[in-house]
Amino acid sequence: MKVHIKHWNAVAQWRWNTGNNDQDDEGDVCGICRVPYEGCCPSCKMPGDDCPLIWGECSHIFHMHCLLKWLGTTASKQQCPMDRRPWVTAERKVADIPNNLS
Amino acid sequence: MASISTRRLHKELSEIRTEGCPCGITLLNADNYETWFFSIEVLGESLYQGEVFKLMFRFDASYPISSPAVQFVVDQNSQAPVHPHVYSNGHICASILGTEWSPVLSVSAVCVTLQSMLASCKVKERPVDNDRYVRTAPDNPKKTRFQYDDDTV
Repeated sequence: MKVHIKHWNAVAQWRWNTGNNDQDDEGDVCGICRVPYEGCCPSCKMPGDDCPLIWGECSHIFHMHCLLKWLGTTASKQQCPMDRRPWVTAERKVADIPNNLS
Repeated sequence: MASISTRRLHKELSEIRTEGCPCGITLLNADNYETWFFSIEVLGESLYQGEVFKLMFRFDASYPISSPAVQFVVDQNSQAPVHPHVYSNGHICASILGTEWSPVLSVSAVCVTLQSMLASCKVKERPVDNDRYVRTAPDNPKKTRFQYDDDTV
């Protein structure tokens, strides 16, 4: 039997590599805006490299823009919103993020 | 206007509508994304048995980066609970509404915290500086710099 493919659509799905590899998981949300990591922060229109995630050494993850907005306030005292420890960005640099796409 | 606060409050509201509020808390009114009202009571044994209070949340456009202004409603139908951290004008001295606010907190989380603040109360009394504070208090409690010097209640 010969099959001629007349037409096809490619569908791809991407996720930030956050160490959560559970495929059935609906995905984690940014604790600040409550939008999934794969969505974008409320200030952006397009998800992806332009609205990346940021990792803290405390292991907490946020949309970078959301976290920077928080750290930009004096009320934040430069603390992680989750555990109130001083925020230290982990060594997973924004430049590495394309490699972190899974 | 789709500000940051609108999107986040929209999510919180649909969660409240689908999953309900925590026990003892009821949504009274959330017709806009600026002011919400809840009723709050302490279930189980407490000094506030049978008392129902009304809470008002006011949000600015940068919520949750900035904290909501939260207070008890004082009018003909409702009073502020008599509590060492609650002024008779409804203003609340609670660190999570001020210096300890975090954008990962939510309306529900604030309600639950205030509920447990009431539940753990041992003596029904007003803050020592109630009269002085109420005389000069701003309309918005966020403008007050409270001193959080009591961790026991």
